Amino acid sequence: MCRVCRVCVAALLLLAMRASCSLDIKLHDDEDEDEDAMFQTPGGDVRVRVSGRALVPGVRAQDWIASARVLLDGDKHVGFLRDDGSFTVSDVPSGSYVLEISSPTYRFQPVRVDITTTGKMRARVVNYIKTSEVIRLPYPLQMRCIGLHSYFIPRETWGWSDFLMNPMVLMMVLPLLIILLLPKVFNPSDPEMRREMEQSMNMLNSNQELPDVSELMTKFFSSPKSHGKAGGGARGHRGGAPSARGGASRRKMKD
Amino acid sequence: MAWLVVRLAISVSLLYTASAVFEDQVGKFDWRQQFIGKVRFALFDTHSQASKKLLVATDKNVFASLNSRTGDLFWRHVDKTGPEGHIDALLMYGQDAVVVVGNGRLLRSWETTVGGLKWETVLDTGSFQAAALVGVQDLVKYVAVLKKSAISLHDLSSGSQIWVENLPDSDSVQYQTIYSGGNGLLFVLGVVPNSHIVIVEYKIEDGEIMNKKSVEAAWMSSLESSCAVISSGILLCVDQITQSLYTLSLQSAEQTEMRQIHLQTLDLEVASGFRPVLTSTQPNPAQPPLSEFFLQLSPDHHILLQFKDGLIAPLRDFSPSYLAAFATSGERTVAAVMSPKNDTACSINLFSADTGRRHLDTTVIYHMDPNGGKPNRLYVHAFLKKDDSVGYRVMVQTEDLTLTFLQQPGRVVWMREEALADVVTMEMVDLPFTGTQAELEGEFGKKAAIQDGLLPMVLKRLSSQFILLQAWLAHLWKLFYDARQPRSSVKNEVTIDILSRDEFNLQKMMLMVTASGKLFGIDSKSGTILWKQYLENIQPNSVFKLIVQRTTAHFPHPPQCTLLIKHKDTGLGSLYVFNPIFGKKSQISVPALPRPVLQTLLLPVIDQDYAKVLLLIDDQYKVTAFPSTKNVLQQLQDTASSIFFYLVDSSQGKLSGFRLRKDLSTELIWEVVIPTEVQKIVAVKGKRANEHVHSQGRVMGDRSVLYKYLNPNLLAVITESTDTHQERSFVGIFLIDGVTGRIVHEAVQRKARGPVHFVHSENWVVYVYWNSKFRRNEFSVLELFEGAELYNSTVFSSLDRPHAPQVLQQSYIFPAPINTLEATLTEKGITSRHLLVGLPSGNILSLPKMFLDPRRPELVSEQSREENLIPYAPEMPIREEWFINYNQTVSSVRGIYTAPSGLESTCLVVAYGLDIYQTRVFPSKQFDVLKDDYDYILISSVLFGLFFATMISKRLAEVKLLNRAWR
Repeated sequence: MCRVCRVCVAALLLLAMRASCSLDIKLHDDEDEDEDAMFQTPGGDVRVRVSGRALVPGVRAQDWIASARVLLDGDKHVGFLRDDGSFTVSDVPSGSYVLEISSPTYRFQPVRVDITTTGKMRARVVNYIKTSEVIRLPYPLQMRCIGLHSYFIPRETWGWSDFLMNPMVLMMVLPLLIILLLPKVFNPSDPEMRREMEQSMNMLNSNQELPDVSELMTKFFSSPKSHGKAGGGARGHRGGAPSARGGASRRKMKD
Repeated sequence: MAWLVVRLAISVSLLYTASAVFEDQVGKFDWRQQFIGKVRFALFDTHSQASKKLLVATDKNVFASLNSRTGDLFWRHVDKTGPEGHIDALLMYGQDAVVVVGNGRLLRSWETTVGGLKWETVLDTGSFQAAALVGVQDLVKYVAVLKKSAISLHDLSSGSQIWVENLPDSDSVQYQTIYSGGNGLLFVLGVVPNSHIVIVEYKIEDGEIMNKKSVEAAWMSSLESSCAVISSGILLCVDQITQSLYTLSLQSAEQTEMRQIHLQTLDLEVASGFRPVLTSTQPNPAQPPLSEFFLQLSPDHHILLQFKDGLIAPLRDFSPSYLAAFATSGERTVAAVMSPKNDTACSINLFSADTGRRHLDTTVIYHMDPNGGKPNRLYVHAFLKKDDSVGYRVMVQTEDLTLTFLQQPGRVVWMREEALADVVTMEMVDLPFTGTQAELEGEFGKKAAIQDGLLPMVLKRLSSQFILLQAWLAHLWKLFYDARQPRSSVKNEVTIDILSRDEFNLQKMMLMVTASGKLFGIDSKSGTILWKQYLENIQPNSVFKLIVQRTTAHFPHPPQCTLLIKHKDTGLGSLYVFNPIFGKKSQISVPALPRPVLQTLLLPVIDQDYAKVLLLIDDQYKVTAFPSTKNVLQQLQDTASSIFFYLVDSSQGKLSGFRLRKDLSTELIWEVVIPTEVQKIVAVKGKRANEHVHSQGRVMGDRSVLYKYLNPNLLAVITESTDTHQERSFVGIFLIDGVTGRIVHEAVQRKARGPVHFVHSENWVVYVYWNSKFRRNEFSVLELFEGAELYNSTVFSSLDRPHAPQVLQQSYIFPAPINTLEATLTEKGITSRHLLVGLPSGNILSLPKMFLDPRRPELVSEQSREENLIPYAPEMPIREEWFINYNQTVSSVRGIYTAPSGLESTCLVVAYGLDIYQTRVFPSKQFDVLKDDYDYILISSVLFGLFFATMISKRLAEVKLLNRAWR
């Protein structure tokens, strides 16, 4: 018992170590960042303005700009929106920043903005995993609203369709329907049909060890024989027929 | 493909952990209050009569528009924190407001109705001195900004620079103010302290220097504080040493020295040690200022004076008077003066500026809060009534940052507690029981009850049940009575007298300590302020520590909280003891603290009055106990050998552990030195004292148990490298046992820098740092395990733990910046934990701890699936459903406070920053109460249906049996 535990812990540790190692690899694998180097020296005297335009289609700018802000790397640098949706973030030193528009209602895709020490600028898609990957975006920035924030999850509501599509219900109802309807569709008194059915039954019941689902069902749902006799005599003739037959055929096979 | 599988697995696992808000829960148990901070500039929109706008700029770098009828925010813009977002000046003309930001770095113009930016210009560097609107021929067209060495003129409609000129001799002359009277000239006034005044005259069109003169003024040290421009370009200065007023005409070339007017000739005298203040008014920037002005001679003495034909004549003497302000409506300028009425109230009266005559029926009574501070600013909004008389409203700001808006005849229209914009620390305290609840509790608690015997206990039980029944009936009657009243007349006022603990202890008292030294008691359910207390004489940069010494559980002893107020520089502290429910100062004698306090320690030891003992350690390592009764000292002597504490000296990089001796002195046990040349200690955190861990270990896939390393004495120490170069900088973490000083674990994150946010709880530490190589935030989690066997399962002792814990670590990318980090807390610790992350956008993200599990496997195996481990993915997901505050964002969130409630599933959360947001979170959903969308109708209809069906079928069966019997 104890050895098992130890082995397990060892395995676990190994797993954890592997996880952390591979994590290290994952977090630091893209080494080609020579062109990144030019953005890395912070400071310098260059101070530029980042400008662009944010658009929420179908909504007047006045209705949303008052509650929105343009944020560069959190609130390191902040810009505000004009009533035509355009914005500038002034006085930004060189470096690489993630620009996002924070609005409590509308959602925007963030953009990475790189500013070189000479003041050149480019915009690209934010990729936190492969940080050196460059997919250029137009500059001045075009920020397009990609929908509303979906803060809420819908309540589970009770509906008939949900109830009926429930697997449990399906399992109960479908066989019931089959039992009730099948005898009406096929005419069991037709001798040809009867022979065919018998054949198919034999084919199906070739493996006797497995319990037969349909038989189980019929056992469950058809009323006990004593009851059946005492109850409606008329019903017993039609509804009871296939089950009696099935039972008979099985007895035959056993013999 | 593998990626897809991982994504799928994550999304599947999310189905079980999601703790989102349902849309119908909005506002049900959460609330938000928005604040602006200490008002530095406030301007009423006098553009139109019906305007309700009040523009304010505050010390929190907020520029906002308030509705002056309700006090609500129309809009609010929060600039970046720190001096770069500081608002230097606010000017308003018509619909536009011009703001100078960041020591004169930016000039912004705002459209005030919508709150949109009109234009923004970057100005040259140089420290900001003054800004003014400049008018030409009755039209305000420009704005002038004066810097230390340059002056620039900008167009008001587009922001474009018209001209910029360097100021002559700017290295010797301190230019401080500008003045323009609408005649095409712009005057820049500078001073060489204790020598002379320099006046430079610019032409507005092209910035040409028209004239430059210097005037002797040997007595003058600063223009800004002692001078004002009045009546068609007369510079007026006051000096308390010579007790004189000086006047100088700016335009005339003849006058080459200032004319001195002794205050004695006006029968006036400046109070000794008081710096007199001149207040003038220029209602229209395109026209010269009025010739009337206020002179403040002492803190409670103002005088209204008039300058006429070179002579100064007093119009009216206001003594005593606290505050005075001018206001203009149309062509008429009035002066409002606040004077004391009695000890608790002030009266504000209106006077016409040009004559000093009092307007009839204009008195507004302002009642001072006995627990508040003195009024220190007065903002007046004057307007013309229909009968052409002047009406007015006033906004009063007090020392404790309360804004009160008053209307005639003294009705408080609204009130804002702006001290709450800067909450420093907070606690949540249980509300007390009502009398009946306490009675019921007391029945079981008292020892005497056991001796009473059977019969008295039965009687007592019956009587308390009867009291409960009575209370319930009274409650029913109240409900019925309220229902009959029309809705409007039922007041939903919350007062402390009717507050009592609810069934699940979800409603608590929030104690908030603000930077200005004002304490608040707030009802957590509604956000109503139940009490407030302003502590006077608090140094502006004090640190506060709030300690709950006695909770409400010890009826009839009142609950007791202690606030340690410590001066940041000297370290000298004082204690303030109060009752957290009523906010009253306690009468308990407080120990004097003559030496700086280094550390505090709240012991689980209680005195005979059930107050926990607080130990204060001073800089000579002497310990003061509070309360320090005989009983406490005896207990301390008995337990002294097991009381340890630690001290952090970040300047020397030293952590040291001490043990208490019987005579309340201390001995050094251990010392850890982290060399300051390489790295500095940024933060040290232990675990929260009220935290419970329910499960000792984790059951793994093969049904064995991995036991957690639950060391209650563990300290997490975060260090940052002194070398800030991005290739060499690093963030270090040490886990140190606080009793023995043993370093349990250390880890280093290379190419990383702060700010580091971290949470230390249970057996894990989660910290966030900035990866400077890849320029992204990363989460790292450390988890400590004892292994498959527990060394000593009954009790944990730091002194007897021979095996080092196994440490697992994993890191993840977090795709957003972070402001603050905290973990949820529940009563018994059964509920799964979530991390609450405050984002700069103002959202609070509830991140399941499940995602920060160092055992998340790289490859999915049968066992990991059994354990419900999410496969490892480098990037942490952020889902909008996890934002617990939906669109109720908390601006510049600085802290999150979590407290357990009486329900295991529920954790109370308060996020504070500029705003305050209170809500409840259910990390594992509400498993212990019925969901609020529980379908009562369905369940009862099914029940009734079944009931009737059985009734009917029973009847039918009877009929059938009868029929059969007859057959």
